[in-house]
Amino acid sequence: MSFLRLDNVVKRYGDHKVINGVSFGAEKGEFVVFVGPSGCGKSTLLRMIAGLEDITEGDVSIDGAVVTNVEPAARQVAMVFQSYALYPHMSVFENMAFGLRMVKTPQPEIERRVKEAARILQIEPLLERKPRQLSGGQRQRVAIGRAIVRNPKLFLFDEPLSNLDAELRTQMRVEIARLHRDIGATMVYVTHDQIEAMTLADRIVVLRAGLVEQVGAPTELYDNPANTFVAGFIGSPKMNFLTGTVTAAETGRVMVANANFVGGSLVIRPRRGGVPKVGDMVIVGLRPEHLDLASPTPALQLRTDFAENLGGATQIYTQPKDGEMITIVAQGRPKITPGETLTVGVAPEYVYLFDERGVAV
Amino acid sequence: MQTTLGRTLHALGLTLVILFTMFPFYWMVTSSLKDQSDLLASPPVWLFVPTLEHYGEIFADQKVVNAVINSLIVSVSTTALAVLLGAPAAYALARFEFRGKQDLWFWFISNRMISPIVLALPVYLLALQVKLLDTHLVLILIYLTFNLPIVVWICTDQFRSIPKELEQAARLDGANQWIIFRKIYVPLGIPGIAVSAIFSFIFSWNELLYALVLTRRTVQTAPVIATSFMSGYELPWGKIMATGTVIVLPVIIFALLVSKHMVRGLTMGATK
Ligand SMILES: Nc1ncnc2c1ncn2[C@@H]1O[C@H](COP(=O)(O)OP(=O)(O)OP(=O)(O)O)[C@@H](O)[C@H]1O
Ligand SMILES: [Mg+2]
Repeated sequence: MSFLRLDNVVKRYGDHKVINGVSFGAEKGEFVVFVGPSGCGKSTLLRMIAGLEDITEGDVSIDGAVVTNVEPAARQVAMVFQSYALYPHMSVFENMAFGLRMVKTPQPEIERRVKEAARILQIEPLLERKPRQLSGGQRQRVAIGRAIVRNPKLFLFDEPLSNLDAELRTQMRVEIARLHRDIGATMVYVTHDQIEAMTLADRIVVLRAGLVEQVGAPTELYDNPANTFVAGFIGSPKMNFLTGTVTAAETGRVMVANANFVGGSLVIRPRRGGVPKVGDMVIVGLRPEHLDLASPTPALQLRTDFAENLGGATQIYTQPKDGEMITIVAQGRPKITPGETLTVGVAPEYVYLFDERGVAV
Repeated sequence: MQTTLGRTLHALGLTLVILFTMFPFYWMVTSSLKDQSDLLASPPVWLFVPTLEHYGEIFADQKVVNAVINSLIVSVSTTALAVLLGAPAAYALARFEFRGKQDLWFWFISNRMISPIVLALPVYLLALQVKLLDTHLVLILIYLTFNLPIVVWICTDQFRSIPKELEQAARLDGANQWIIFRKIYVPLGIPGIAVSAIFSFIFSWNELLYALVLTRRTVQTAPVIATSFMSGYELPWGKIMATGTVIVLPVIIFALLVSKHMVRGLTMGATK
């Protein structure tokens, strides 16, 4: 049985269903990331695990015990809030010691554990300061320190890095990954930053409107998204989509017609082995990083709109004959003139196919 | 140019306001230091030899000393009780949802809508019935009914401004409701508590109507005594002014002591 289990969990505010029956399990020591667009219920789900939010229906269990109606403190979970939520009137030391004092830990033990956490997070010189005398990154470390000292069964992070600037975010991301490796605790992490999700997670749970869309390892979601929503959400820049019509289909070979394909159609090998019917509408997914300007076997013809030079790579935005803008990521700095028509290749194994409703085939 | 003129006008305006509001106070204090002939001089004298004669007189008067002590007992008890009872109530109103919360909220201010004189007679009769007339307790109780709403209002507002995440973090840290109130809400709500305590103290200290109606000899408060000097055939101005000065002092001292807690930005650093 999983270390953390959600059984058909539902959350309703009045008539408004925010979480729509989520079931899911995380193993001991696993790093699980919840991703999804704003308002999809990530925080709500996390707060239900913490016990800060009542559970309308279903059950949550931690370490084999059902905790649906157990007080937050008794669940032995620690949470790092997006807004840090440090006690502003207490020193950094007291902030971290607060939870230990609540369970009547002897003073020497408190000092030992706070010092140890401070050492891990490199905030030893700050212990006597008040939160307002700290920078954003330091505050976030203290917030994490407050979670570590209690030695919880489960760590919960609610977008802990979203208030930090880009550089600090990268740095803290690495530190959180290191922390997980070093203490090996079970962690549930909420973010809508898919880079954080990809880099930190053992497993990602993609949520949409209170429902789980797909659960899997980052590479699995990247390689094998269950639908266009997941495909569009995982990977950056976002996957490109083109709609087409099936003109011929047999097992392992589907021919799709679209005006942007060289010769008007493209042969696709469905990753999930599905065989759509001739005449069906389908959605073809192409990741920007898989589109190749130098390919000997061109598959698409696209008119350039404009290009962004990122130094090491170039992002080219093209306008297809129908549908939305298609992005190409090219290594180096290819010469691009706006308005020019590009022929772009793609390896067959990198073409994704979805049916009309967006489900992978 | 523009700004210099603007600033000068600004300063002038402020000075006028200060002069206007402070003048009665100045007059009271200086009058208390004048002897009888300077007091009655017309036109009034601005320069005089100060005397402490009136102060000697009032402190020799056991009635005045007693009145000040009575006032202190009543005001301190009222303020302490109002804060002790009002702050937890404010916490509940600020953070919990319960049935009738809105009604309660309204009810809290509604009793301030009634003119105190309207209630004076009923309260007097009530006090008479329960044999509480001329006791400290009756004044403390009646002042509480006026001060509690103020304390609750100000503190509720203050507590609402404390980020909810702090309470949630504390809950996860294992703190119970009472500890959260004591260790999070009280320290961070100190400015509001201080303001409401000052209001409460000033009100109880200066209140005259109920003090007149509900007391006889034993627990007459300072304002009652001050007015009682006016009842004879002569007006002992010096004594009245000295008493007035003595009455004002504790309020000022209390306000100064408490006002250093009236700072903003206590929750800085909690979030963001
Ligand atoms: N107290 C509440 N009453 C009613 N609806 C609420 C309440 N709290 C949250 N919601 C709704 O629940 C939904 C999910 O909110 P939640 O905070 O979990 O989103 P989220 O996925 O964390 O979003 P974000 O990425 O913006 O933080 C939202 O539509 C929100 O409006
Ligand atoms: Mg959220």
